[in-house]
Amino acid sequence: MQSSSHAAGGAALPVPRLAGHFASLEVQNHAARLGMWLFLATEILLFAGLFICYGVYRFLFPEAWAAASRSLDLTLGTINTVVLITSSLTAALAVHYAKEGKNKMVAVQLGLTLVMAVGFLVIKYFEYHHKFEIGTLPGRFYSYEGIQLPGVPLYFTVYFCATALHGIHVVIGMIVLAFSMVRALKKADFGPNNFTMVELGSMYWHLVDLVWIFLFPMLYLV
Amino acid sequence: MGIANESRQEEQNMREEHHGAGRYWLIWGLLLVLTVVTVVTGRIHIPTWGLVLALVIASTKGTLVLLYFMHLADHRGANRLVFAVSIIFVVLLLAIPMVDLGTRFRGATPPGSTYSDLQAIDIGADAEEGRYGGAIRKEGKMGEESGAPKQ
Repeated sequence: MQSSSHAAGGAALPVPRLAGHFASLEVQNHAARLGMWLFLATEILLFAGLFICYGVYRFLFPEAWAAASRSLDLTLGTINTVVLITSSLTAALAVHYAKEGKNKMVAVQLGLTLVMAVGFLVIKYFEYHHKFEIGTLPGRFYSYEGIQLPGVPLYFTVYFCATALHGIHVVIGMIVLAFSMVRALKKADFGPNNFTMVELGSMYWHLVDLVWIFLFPMLYLV
Repeated sequence: MGIANESRQEEQNMREEHHGAGRYWLIWGLLLVLTVVTVVTGRIHIPTWGLVLALVIASTKGTLVLLYFMHLADHRGANRLVFAVSIIFVVLLLAIPMVDLGTRFRGATPPGSTYSDLQAIDIGADAEEGRYGGAIRKEGKMGEESGAPKQ
């Protein structure tokens, strides 16, 4: 049936392998994307739960929300947004080069994505650190004298839950992309018939970006 | 057969790059411009419509990411359906609690919220902790200093 044009090694198995229960490679790729979209749909609903908490508490405590939001560092938040959007660009370019079989460029773009991901986490660390210093923390740990309003600790509960869950996704996305990068460097077998691994990993990364696109105005710009 | 045709169509869309890498750069530029717009308008703190505007901008950015970075524009059939359904669920999930809160008997909203003038209901061992936005932390700490009357 279908075989890959990239089995140049001879001894190596042709990539990608077509599973017996798929009619063709096209159907197999279609199914792989369907699986990824299903997974991403569950991810969207996972974050939606937090967005609803956010919506409910913002409705109940609008003044606290506005005051607490202004205690965040908008500059750092904006920089992080730009960093994440740019890392999304490089992840998309990695797929583009994977289709063309330019494995070195795939590795470079994924490497850039990983560097920006680390940058994002470092900035996030400084933001967290500052909050622990001044005591803008969730619930009973809140001890910031600057803002004294009912509902402010709830804002920081939502803030920490949302950004921490997003941060975990950043780390998972980095691991996924790192696997693709190593493969692009070592096996260098991405090409027009074999780019599903880069494509799906990149889709996950775009979801991380997508979530942040909503979190940023919700948290920093009340 | 229908599925096979969808797969073929999608495969062609994904494989043939009608556009070069330039499109990704264009989308990136648009996303940066929209980020600037949301920061500038967000800092003005427009009453009432500020949130709507921020969400419209975020949705526009999200749509660009989905359609072009995630290639939803090239995908066919079930792949698009799955995403559309998840968004419908998110909207339902958001709308129903908000309608509930908006139409509640005022007394049923939590103590301390803008829409309630009832006193705090104390649940838990140490009711003072974290309940007033940190104003009263522990008995004898802040309460005594400020001489705030206890309810």
